[in-house]
Amino acid sequence: MLLHATKTGLETVLEWFVILLMVMLTVIVIVAVMFRMGGSSLSWYDEIAAILLAWITYYGSALAVLRRRHIGFDSVLLAIPMPYRMGAVALAELITAAFFVLLAWAGFTVLSILGNMTLVSLTWVPVWFTQSVIPIGAVLFLIGQALSLPDYWYWTARGVSLEHAEIEEEVESEMKKAGHA
Amino acid sequence: MLMLGIFLAMVAMICLNMPIAVALAVSAILGLLVMEGPGSLVNVALDMYGGSTKFALIAIPMFVLAGAIMNAGGVTDKLINFVTAVIGFIRGGLAHVNIGVSLFFAEISGSAVADVAAMGSVLIPQMKKRGYSGAFSAAVTSSSASLAIIIPPSIPMILYATSADTSVEQLFVAGVVPGLIGAAGLMGVAYWFARRYDLPREEAFNFKRLSETFLDALPAFSLPVIILGGIFGGFVTATEAAGLAVLAAILVSAWYRQIDLKHLRRAMLDGGMQTAVVMLLVAASVVMGGFLTRAQMPQELAAGILAITQNKWLILLILNFFFLVIGFFLHSAAAIILVVPIVIPLIQAAGIDPIHFGLVVTLNLAIGQQTPPVASVLITACAVARANIWDVSKINIYFIAVLLTVLLMCTYIPSIPLFLVEYFYR
Repeated sequence: MLLHATKTGLETVLEWFVILLMVMLTVIVIVAVMFRMGGSSLSWYDEIAAILLAWITYYGSALAVLRRRHIGFDSVLLAIPMPYRMGAVALAELITAAFFVLLAWAGFTVLSILGNMTLVSLTWVPVWFTQSVIPIGAVLFLIGQALSLPDYWYWTARGVSLEHAEIEEEVESEMKKAGHA
Repeated sequence: MLMLGIFLAMVAMICLNMPIAVALAVSAILGLLVMEGPGSLVNVALDMYGGSTKFALIAIPMFVLAGAIMNAGGVTDKLINFVTAVIGFIRGGLAHVNIGVSLFFAEISGSAVADVAAMGSVLIPQMKKRGYSGAFSAAVTSSSASLAIIIPPSIPMILYATSADTSVEQLFVAGVVPGLIGAAGLMGVAYWFARRYDLPREEAFNFKRLSETFLDALPAFSLPVIILGGIFGGFVTATEAAGLAVLAAILVSAWYRQIDLKHLRRAMLDGGMQTAVVMLLVAASVVMGGFLTRAQMPQELAAGILAITQNKWLILLILNFFFLVIGFFLHSAAAIILVVPIVIPLIQAAGIDPIHFGLVVTLNLAIGQQTPPVASVLITACAVARANIWDVSKINIYFIAVLLTVLLMCTYIPSIPLFLVEYFYR
């Protein structure tokens, strides 16, 4: 129950944050095109838009792992007989978690090196702030992975592909919209 | 030996269904550890950050978003009505409509799966009602949506251009003619089926209906005009065109009064997540790129293959076969990010035009989307049609044959994809 509530809570927060980042990126890109066509380019556009893309990458990745939507290949795993399949799942989850632990550590180490450096175009924005996305994103990924593991474990043990489930879900919602469900 | 070990480790991790991005980064880290020791580990954070800030890739979230807004914004029905008025009178009308609408949708969105779900959920039930089999309906929908990835805007093309360090605008232009040839071929096959199984025509051609549906769909045509006209005319870059496409998509959907905040929220979220999973792969590929450069692997591969043959047509044949096989097992984004950086030195050394090769790669991966086990577009179409994947594949073989023919034509007659590029840019 608590696990479910935590998962839903984190999902909602991440959803709104990703939406906010997407809105910001969209507005900035559109405004920048208008300015360039009007003859005066925005000096900070390239740098800020690229940073927003990085933030969407890592906050979006944390959200994607909560829903197990990262691009993978599950045909071989699902063909492994039980109970060995679950051993394989445990190993894969451990390696994935180890990578994000390493990324969080490396990210924090880099932050401590960056010190007082600032962006080139907006000198009041410190680089540690923009690059904080790596360690924070890595930690969020670890949390998301842990929270979504029970469901993934359950379905994989039953031989159900989450990719197919995702497609079914998308199709169902479109069919409903088209009035065929 | 080290290279082989790293490669096997990566394949093993992918087979365990780890996110491919993680499998890529972890195998690169193992390689770096063996070559340079733990001192290089901090760089992983810098590479993963740098890789996710590639400016040219901002076009990806924008195109996905434009497509998602258009899908939610009621454009599908207007387009279907218009295309039906244009070509519905041909025998097997709805199959041709399906292919025509796919081509048009391809002009808007970068995501074939979302398009199949949106368009298929309207057209496939209609086709079944008119006596088409579920398997045939799914096969037409699936193959035409896959062909759409070679027509601009295309996310695989944006990824290729970044991986190969070449012009995305030129690659977009290169896709137009092969896309049209492919669509004509698919319509030919659909017509053959229609004659054989006596599939129905839609209403007879009627100029009044054509002009009515045209006016109704007119605002939606602003998108291809902005994207293609803007890029071909050299007024905007691909990223700028993508931003304008989002703006136009919002305005058009508002014009049709079909978009509300709920749909917009969902479109933003879908766009953000799709971008994130692709960008994590791109970021991980930078870690792998660092390792490959130090190990000189792409250069060695190029030298090894060039020692066997210097014939660029033979090299293209080998690479075609390789990408077709890869396409069976990997999503197009993953395949491009994994393989393109490795083969680019070979392409350059063999004197193959990177734009030409980009189109060949994209077409290969379009075919890969039609072949299980990893065939997201095909699986989506089957789910909409409630048809068995093998029944669909038996019919789809004929459509895949068309795509393969287009692939061979584009591979061995480079002027087919390149003549527009020459005309506009060279």
